This record gives sequence, C-alpha cells and structure tokens, in this order.
Amino acid sequence: MRIKEYLRKVEKGEILPSKEIPRIVEKLDKLNEKYSCFITLNKNPRITSKKGRLRGIPVVIKDCICTKGLRTTSGSKILENYFPVFNATIVKRIEEEGGIIVGKTSMDEFGFGTFCTNCAFNLPKNPHDITRSAGGSSGGAAVALAMSDLPLLSIAESTGGSISCPASFCGVYGLTPTYGLVSRYGLIDYSNSLDKIGVMGKSAWDCALGLSVIAGKDSNDQTSIGEEKDYTRFVNKKYIEKNISGKIIGVPKEYFGKGVDKQVKKIVMNAIKKYESLGAKIKEISLPYTKYALSAYYVIALAESSTNLSKFCGLRYGLATEIKGNADEYFSSVRTKGFGKEAKRRILLGTYIRMKGYRNKYYLKALKVRKLIIEDFKKAFEKCNVLMAPTMPFIAPKFNEIKSLTPAQQYASDILTVAPNLAGLPMINVPVGKINGMPVGLHIIGNHFEEGEILSFAGAIKW
Amino acid sequence: MVKIGLEIHVQLNTRTKLFCSCKNEASKKPNVNTCPICLGMPGSKPLINEEAIKKAIKIGLMLNLNFSKKMFFSRKSYFYPDLSKNYQITQYELPVGTQGYFLINVKGRIKKIRIRRIHIEEDPAQIIHVGGSITNAEYVLLDYNRSGVPLCEIVTEPDFESSEEVIIFMKKLLSYLQHIKVFDIRKCKWRCDVNVSIPKGNRSEIKNVGSFKGIKSAINYEIIRQESLINKGFEVKRETRHFNASTNTTELLRTKEEEIDYGYIFEPDLTSFELSSYIKDSEDNMPELPEEIIKRLIKEYKLSKNNAEILVQKDPLFVEFFEKCSKMYENKKKLSNWIVGDLFKCLNFQEKSLFESKIKPNDFVDFLNLMDSKKITERLGKELIKEYVEKGIPPRQLMNRKNLNLLSKKEILNVIEKVIKENPKSVKDYQEGKKIVIDFLIGEVMKKTRATADPKITRELLEKKLKNK
Repeated sequence: MRIKEYLRKVEKGEILPSKEIPRIVEKLDKLNEKYSCFITLNKNPRITSKKGRLRGIPVVIKDCICTKGLRTTSGSKILENYFPVFNATIVKRIEEEGGIIVGKTSMDEFGFGTFCTNCAFNLPKNPHDITRSAGGSSGGAAVALAMSDLPLLSIAESTGGSISCPASFCGVYGLTPTYGLVSRYGLIDYSNSLDKIGVMGKSAWDCALGLSVIAGKDSNDQTSIGEEKDYTRFVNKKYIEKNISGKIIGVPKEYFGKGVDKQVKKIVMNAIKKYESLGAKIKEISLPYTKYALSAYYVIALAESSTNLSKFCGLRYGLATEIKGNADEYFSSVRTKGFGKEAKRRILLGTYIRMKGYRNKYYLKALKVRKLIIEDFKKAFEKCNVLMAPTMPFIAPKFNEIKSLTPAQQYASDILTVAPNLAGLPMINVPVGKINGMPVGLHIIGNHFEEGEILSFAGAIKW
Repeated sequence: MVKIGLEIHVQLNTRTKLFCSCKNEASKKPNVNTCPICLGMPGSKPLINEEAIKKAIKIGLMLNLNFSKKMFFSRKSYFYPDLSKNYQITQYELPVGTQGYFLINVKGRIKKIRIRRIHIEEDPAQIIHVGGSITNAEYVLLDYNRSGVPLCEIVTEPDFESSEEVIIFMKKLLSYLQHIKVFDIRKCKWRCDVNVSIPKGNRSEIKNVGSFKGIKSAINYEIIRQESLINKGFEVKRETRHFNASTNTTELLRTKEEEIDYGYIFEPDLTSFELSSYIKDSEDNMPELPEEIIKRLIKEYKLSKNNAEILVQKDPLFVEFFEKCSKMYENKKKLSNWIVGDLFKCLNFQEKSLFESKIKPNDFVDFLNLMDSKKITERLGKELIKEYVEKGIPPRQLMNRKNLNLLSKKEILNVIEKVIKENPKSVKDYQEGKKIVIDFLIGEVMKKTRATADPKITRELLEKKLKNK
C-alpha cells in the first residue's frame, strides 16, 4: 500500500493506527530476519492520535539520529547501549505530525561506507538479491522500503552520498536536501559541514511529504536555514505539467566518463530523453573540478569525523571496560575495542590531515577546492534548471566483489555523489530501470533550496 | 633583559554559558548546571551566546584592539578527562581582535604593553582531586558546572621586564575588567600562563598560575632557574612548566618535542560571525573607563586626584557607593576621605570586600551626619566604623545599644576632676610648663568616657581647670 492511500484510509477511519501499527511492526520483524535492515525495532511504539500530516504513518529512522529512550548506536559497537536523553529535532517534528517511530535502521558504522558492509551489527542485504550490497551508508533505510510494500517513510542521512547510493542500489526514491534546510540537532555527527538529513520513499510524493515535515529553520542548529513549505505541491500533476516544459536539463559530461558502466549510462540517458518529450531541453555541460571532488571530500570529511569521534573514549560515552592505567591508556583500550576497522582508519587519516605540516597541504587546500566546486555548480545553474546523471556508476555489487576492493577503490565508488554533496546541493535518486533485475538510479541535482524543482522532475515520470 | 609575556584567561560574567542556555554560575552542588550541549552528548550542537561576543568586544575596546571583520571558532583537539568532547571550541585563525595595547604606570613612568590578540573559548569541566593532589589523588571527580563557561583569553607580547610590572598590569587589568562589567571578581575565576625568557635562555611557559603571589614566585623562580643553568654552562630548553604553589617552584611538564599537536579545524557547527553590528552595540553600551571616571570625580565632586584614583582602583563598587552617598551628603571631600581612609582600612584589615560588608549608603551618610552634628566625636566614629564593618550594624544602632550619647559639660567636668585626682604628676608637669601633657590627660578623659566627650570642649575645660588650680 502507498502512503497516500494509507493516509486516506486512516482519515476515513478504515485503518486504525493503534491496530495497524503492531501488525506492521510484526511484519517488519519477520522481514528483518532475512534482510537485517533494523538495528533496533521499536516493538512498543508510542502510538499517538495526533491528526498531523503523518497521521498514523510508520516511520523508520537511520540509527545515527537520536531518539529519546530508544537505543541509538550510529551503527557502532562503542554506542551499543546508548539511549539518548533527548529527541532529534526531526524526530520531534515527525511525532508532532502524528508519525510513529517503529524502528532504527542499520548503517555503516558512523556512516563510514558506500556498501553498508562496515557495520558493527545487522549488515543489511539487498532485497533484489540478498548476495548483493544494499548500498551505504543508509543501507537499512533503503532496504526497509524495498523489502515490502508496507506504507513506510524512511528518514536517512547523507554526508557524501549515503542517501543516493542505497536508494539507487535498492530502487527507491531518496532525497538529500540542501545543506542546512533540515536541522541536524540530534544527529550523531559524521562530518558536520557535510551532513544532511533527508527522506527516502517509494515515490517522489512520499519524499515531498517527509521533507515538508522535517525542513525549516531550527533554533537548536546554528547552521539551519530556510522556511517551512508544503513540498507536495511540487509533485502535483498540474504543477508538473506546467513546470517541466521549457526547462533546461544540464548533463555534465564528466559524469558519464570512464568507470561508469555502459549499460547504466544507456538506461540513464534514455531516462533523461524522456523529459524531452515533456518539453524540457537537454544541454551538455562541463564541471571541470569534478576530478578533485573525491579527494577534497574525503579530506574534509575525515578531518571533521576524527574530531567528532574523540568524545567516545569510555569516560562519558563508550564501552564499559576495565579501568586500567592512566587516562590515555584507558581511552585507548576503549577505542581499540569499540571502533571497527574503517572507523579506526578514518580517525587515523583524519588526524594526520589535521597535523602541523599537513594541515595546509591537505585540510586547508581541500576547503579551497570545495569553493571551486561550488563555483562550478553555480556556473552550471546559471544555464540549467537541473542537472542529471547516473547516481552510482554501477549496480549494487555482490558482497564477495566488495571484499576484493581496496579502501581507495571503495572510496572511488562515490565519484558521482560527492561533488553535489560537497556543494551542499539538493539531489534525488529516481529508480529508472534495471540491469539483470538490479535497479539503476537517475540522479537529479538542483540548485540550493530548489528541492521543489527536483521533486517536480522526479515526480514527472512514472517508471 | 628578561622578557615576560602573558596569556590570561578570564571567565566572563555572562548570564548563561558560551554554547548553551545553562546558567553560568558556580554551585555547591556538582553537575546541576548541565545539559546535552555542555556534556557533549552525541547529537548535541553548540549555539553561540551573543552576550559573550559583546563582552569580549568590550575588552577589545578597552585594550585598543583591531577587530576582525569576521570571526569564527575552531576545534582544538586533545584528550583530557575534563573536556566533554575531547576537543575545546576556541578561536584560532580569526579571533575577536588583534594588535592592541594597554598602558601601565611603572614607578611614575608610563609603559605600553602590546596586546597580541584576544579570543573567546569554552572552559572545561572541573577536576576535583580526592585524597591528594594531581600527583597522588586517590581518585578524581568531575564537575561539569564549569564546562562551557565563557573564557576570554588575552595574549600579550613579551613586553614585561619584571614580575613587578606583571603584577601592576594584572591589578589594573582586573580592575578595568570589573569597571566595564564583563568580569566579576567575586564570581569569576582568572588564571594565566606566564612565558619567561632571559638573554641566552629560551622561552619557558608556566601554566595555570592563579594568584598575584603565584605570578611573582613563578617568574622569580624561573629567572633564577634559567640564570643558574646558563651560569653552569647548560642549555635552557624550551619547555612547558607547571607552578607548584606549595613549594613556590616550577616543575617540568613537557619539552618542546613533547608538545601536543592540537590539529585545529574550523568548528563546522557554528557559522562565522560578522562583527560590525556587535562592535556597534558594544561601543554604544561601553561603560565609562576608569580614566574617565577619575576625571569626572575630580571635576564633578572636586575630589583630590589621590582620592579619586584610590576610589576607582579598588573596586567599581566604591565609585558607585561614593556617588550614591554624595547624593545625600554635601561635604564630598569629607565623604571621600572617610571612604578612602577609615572604611578602606577597616575592610582591608578584616579582608572583606565592600560587597561582603553590609555597609549601606544611607547608614554611612547617617554616620557622617552624627559626627557633623556633634552627636558623636570623630574619635568615637573611628571606633564605631570598625564594628560597623565587622558586624554590619549601623553606627546609630551601635550608639543606642551602648548608650554612647555625647556627655554634657557638667558630666565632662566630673570626669576631669577624677582624672586630675588620679594623675597628680601630670598635673604638676603641666603647671611647671610642660603644656604637652594636656594631650595625655585628654586621652585619659576619652578612655573613661568611651570617647563620648567632645575633645574640643574637654580641652577647654581642662585648660581652665588646670589654670585655676
């Protein structure tokens, strides 16, 4: 059942959330055994009778977002038994609109990964083929939607592509909003200058509905900005008809280069052409700084994340281990035990990048590159209304294929998503086809705060 | 020539903490003024307290600083149990302001101390060593009431040449900070890191010295230590040292090679801040600086320069106290003399601040009026003010309680008779021309009357009496 229909039935009284929600949770529990997309299922959710925009809708939340009294691990063993004392702003907003938090979805530890294989617990499996990756880092968030036809809304988070990638691999819609549009208060930080909370759904309308609830300035997050809006009106049929015609779609040539699967290119190009039939124009453009995006992204993200993880040292947060030695020795023993391999790698790299002698060479330089990349996009949006490209360069790989990749090769998979993430642009994955049964995603990238525009394009064509 | 530079940390007296809405207030109960932000809980984010920016800018105005157009915060990373996040939010590249100066008076000579920069940062939690000191405590406790309290760090150039200059500077600085109402000596803590180097030596940094006495001992010890190393032909290494207040010596903390690399990055949870509107606000609300107050006191109240300076230097409350009293009392000179004289003396002697004492302008003026109307003698006044400062009981009440009303002429005469009878030798001396003896006899009368005899009348009566004898 679609959310729209579910809402209608709740409205009419044909569905009683107090009866329906336990049934849904039970189904999710069963499915979770196979796909392992939840770290914590909320078996006794608070069922409110609030008549908001999400009235009675079951909502699942990525496990890096704090839920008061509901375990929040951020996918890490070091937070295995962490129960937040406060709700993230978006959780508060969802509950105020009648949404019901039914579970916390699995993820790469602290968001560190492209394939959702760096998990301390509950490695999610792709519902289209359980031998394949669900994509990361919001793997569980996408799997929860793709594994059934339950009317779920899924809240995810992206730093360098963590919404687009799993949405693409699992064949669902995934919207990453403009940096700052959605409050990060209560989000366990990966890289604060890049982190964005967004929405996954089974349609553009679902994403629009979710965004309408969570977007808007929050006094608890100094970097938050922007007004509250009803985004569902941008996916309204009449609006779309008027909107698309005459618009210019930029197709960056760098996003169809080496390393992007031929079949993926073909399916995505075909999808873009469909917009021509709706009256849009296609224009090839260039984003020359694209080649530096990956390095700049990892330098900034790791520098920030290595400081964010410092607080997990066993003093206030972290595992309870035997207290031995001095403070440094104790902190080291907790961190050695609590962090996974990828987290340790990123702490070491991130710390190195910040050190005297390297700080200028890497960290400060990456910040400059980031500005150039933003300029690239600014120029592009002077000529185009939206940009389109493949979301991921290939379909979801098999777990055994991932094992043979070096960390650098794994990082390189983010090549198409990191640049718009660095620039803080809104983007949405639209499932537009399949290769051997595995979904392929079209990436629609908009200018800052043009969520309405990309949602309207995403909603224009039913696949 | 010895070169000394300071890094001074002062807590700002803001209503709330630097990045959250917890009260900026010391509490006997530990960990009561805390929240997810100052405890560094996962998911919490800092929010700037604009009051702290405005107060830091006031310090900048006082120190003649060049302000940055834009400032931002940075993360200074190091692992220490008192840091809730294991990084401190501070300022690195672009602080509040740079390149200012502050003038001090060294034995009549005006000396310019250059200020390198000031910046804002958060105070860590407080570590309480239980059952010993930092080296031998049984265990430690953490109190997060202090975590996130705003600090302003003032960094000077190495322009001091002696510990005396440093003390003069610190006393003036702290007094000025109180006058511009950004620092409250009763509630806010201060501490400083002292950098000392001597010719052929090397800079050593002494961490966390928290008293004038400590500063003096640390600098003097450090100069002698470096001198004796050089004299013995050793090299003075660049190092960070710790001041041990119980032995008045400095101890090695770490050498240059062991310096921590703080790995600064920009604080991504806080935006950058355009300072122009804050500067405007602080300029508009800038309290009078001490020099201006001194000028005003001299002009408006015709005070002596000396009295005006003492009033201002001591504690901003004295100026306020003086001005409140002067609204009710005409003789400003007498008023200032009593405040700068006996009131100061008594407060100093009893180690009390005006704030702690219960002295109120109304009662103080009443006390002066009692003397003016000859209800009490000045001599009795000097006695009463001691008790007033000590017990907080206003002089009029003390008088009534002790029944200390002035004696009549007849009553004084009675006492004089007694004194004359008891001191025949002095009387004889007087009559033989040793006139000065009369002062002794007056003193005896005062003793007997508990200073309730008017000294002028007593003298007249005594002179008459002795002549007639």
